[in-house]
Amino acid sequence: MTKLLITEITRMGPAFCVIGLQREKEKIRSVRPVTATANSWLHFPYHRGDVLQCDLAPFSGSKPHIEDRVSTRGFQKESAVPEPEVVTFLRKAEMAESLRELFGCALHENRSGGAFAKPPEATRSVCGTVTQNLRLELCGDELRATLVLSSGEVLRDLPVVDRDWRNFVDAALAENRGANRVPRLERFLNSQFHYKVLSCPHHFIRLGLTRPYHELCWLMLDTLIPLPKHEWLEEF
Amino acid sequence: MGVIKDQDYWVRLVEECFRREAGPQAALPAPRQDLIETGALDSMGWVSFLRSLESASGISQLGTLLTQRTPSLESIFQVIRETQTVSTVDVLDTVASLPVSSRDRTQLSAFLVSSGAAVGSRTVSSEDIDRAFGMPPGKLRLRAGIESVAYAEENESELLLGARAAHQSLRSVACGAQELDWIIATGETHRGYPSLSAQLHSQLLVRETCAALDVGGACLGLLNALAVAQGLIASGRARTILVVTSDVHSRVLRPGKVAGEFGGLFGDGASAFLLRAVASSAPQLGYLLGEFFFGCAGQYAGAIRVADSPNGNLDVHFDGEALSRAAITRMEKVLLDVELRSGIARSSVLGLATHQPNPRLVTLLAKQLGLPTEKFPSVARTFGNLGSSTCGAALDAILQAARDPLTKKPGPIFLASLGPGLLFGGGWLTRA
Repeated sequence: MTKLLITEITRMGPAFCVIGLQREKEKIRSVRPVTATANSWLHFPYHRGDVLQCDLAPFSGSKPHIEDRVSTRGFQKESAVPEPEVVTFLRKAEMAESLRELFGCALHENRSGGAFAKPPEATRSVCGTVTQNLRLELCGDELRATLVLSSGEVLRDLPVVDRDWRNFVDAALAENRGANRVPRLERFLNSQFHYKVLSCPHHFIRLGLTRPYHELCWLMLDTLIPLPKHEWLEEF
Repeated sequence: MGVIKDQDYWVRLVEECFRREAGPQAALPAPRQDLIETGALDSMGWVSFLRSLESASGISQLGTLLTQRTPSLESIFQVIRETQTVSTVDVLDTVASLPVSSRDRTQLSAFLVSSGAAVGSRTVSSEDIDRAFGMPPGKLRLRAGIESVAYAEENESELLLGARAAHQSLRSVACGAQELDWIIATGETHRGYPSLSAQLHSQLLVRETCAALDVGGACLGLLNALAVAQGLIASGRARTILVVTSDVHSRVLRPGKVAGEFGGLFGDGASAFLLRAVASSAPQLGYLLGEFFFGCAGQYAGAIRVADSPNGNLDVHFDGEALSRAAITRMEKVLLDVELRSGIARSSVLGLATHQPNPRLVTLLAKQLGLPTEKFPSVARTFGNLGSSTCGAALDAILQAARDPLTKKPGPIFLASLGPGLLFGGGWLTRA
């Protein structure tokens, strides 16, 4: 039996990728439960901060997704941990302050500025970091993040795959929200978002790598804490 | 910033950007074809295509404007048409809002739509400054009128204070950093590289295609920066510009390095101003930039000279008496010229954002001009001389007052400043 503190739930197309923290002696490390046949879950009714009981078997996942473990039976919720405490644990897991440290390899960018790692070079596929500043924007129905690390290095245009933030944006753009939904959301992202997220004492992010696609792993914003609150929708 | 272009131009641009993403041999999709659903591009490719188009076209909001629209070429052309129409309307509206006399020589006017200011978090009394510089307690207060000085904490820098002011300015009108076309930075203490504007570029997370420029002029820096921004907007090359000033003197003008009569006057602070080609986003605070004029009175150049000396110290030549006389004379002349050129009576202005070498000189200047001292926001008295940010902090204070509902009819604002040389400059802002 393994205890897993759920820290990442990302939306990848119709499915969800999940990552949790597992304590191993004095160390805390990230573990990604996958099924025997797929890397993602079509149904995952749990939340960040949930502590789940599960059975995980070693799995020779290909680099850099060394965190993969096969879940051999269902999850059982044992308890839940509040958001600030989740961040306390995340800070004890994989952490980096510079681009080079994120995935243990050099990062590259394509012509339009997208950042990627080369699978044989990367030594892990998820990592936490502290940002000096972070900005979200909409681009053709996609939510993108641009951020500056504490090293002063900038990452641009990362796809935001955090389930809760994606759901928040969907809810903000829902038809029943009335007129001018896009400009209203944009206004929120350009103003209150900064107050709510960047001034939050436990603000934290985790970045991840996609599965190799055309032999490249693209960077994504997996988790943005604090998670959005439903009542924020009433403010714009 | 897109200058109005014909349809062939846009078709060529869209085709070129699409082929860069989908491959040079890729067939151009039908106009209404959903590019993602039909697999012409995946979602990453679609965003990458839009980013290429934004960069090539200068329409920085293209991606946002395509949210909740079908990802197709038809949608792209529709958005381009809409932005081109808006550009035309903006120009016509702006020109129509100007006095008739200005229309023939104004292509596109610059509006100041928001501001912000920040000072060092540590407040030090003038008596403590006296002691630190080995001067008799009370000297700074008696001779210069300075009551306290704002010093940066250890973790505060030109970048941090500048970014703080910039965030205030951007957030107050909900302007996303991605909307900026230029960042123009100025300051008299930042000496390292990357330059202040480049560091602000990263810190604020503006688009990569946003230009970054540093301008000099020391205490005159803000006026120089505003004039450059105005020129860029007037020429149609920029729609949204952030001007930032930031100065941290306390790390440079330290006791032991410079005399207290000079170093003790200075504090640490920053200011930021958002300029737009149109004022529609914040009409309640929009101020139209008037004319700026500049010059250099070289006869006073010897009154203040600062240079690096071989031993690593600062070689400061500071003739306080001569500089004070020159400053008062020149500032008065500049402000009278502003009055003459603008046709605005100085008695009618909401405030004067001027350089404030020290509070005593501000009081003297007000007296010479026959104006109440309240027209000059108190910056130097409580924060010290903030260099290029003195004028900025004063302008921010006046703009905040303009926003106060008790200020029934906010009047124009005069600007005047000086820099070593003796550089001088003036200008004015009128309510949009």
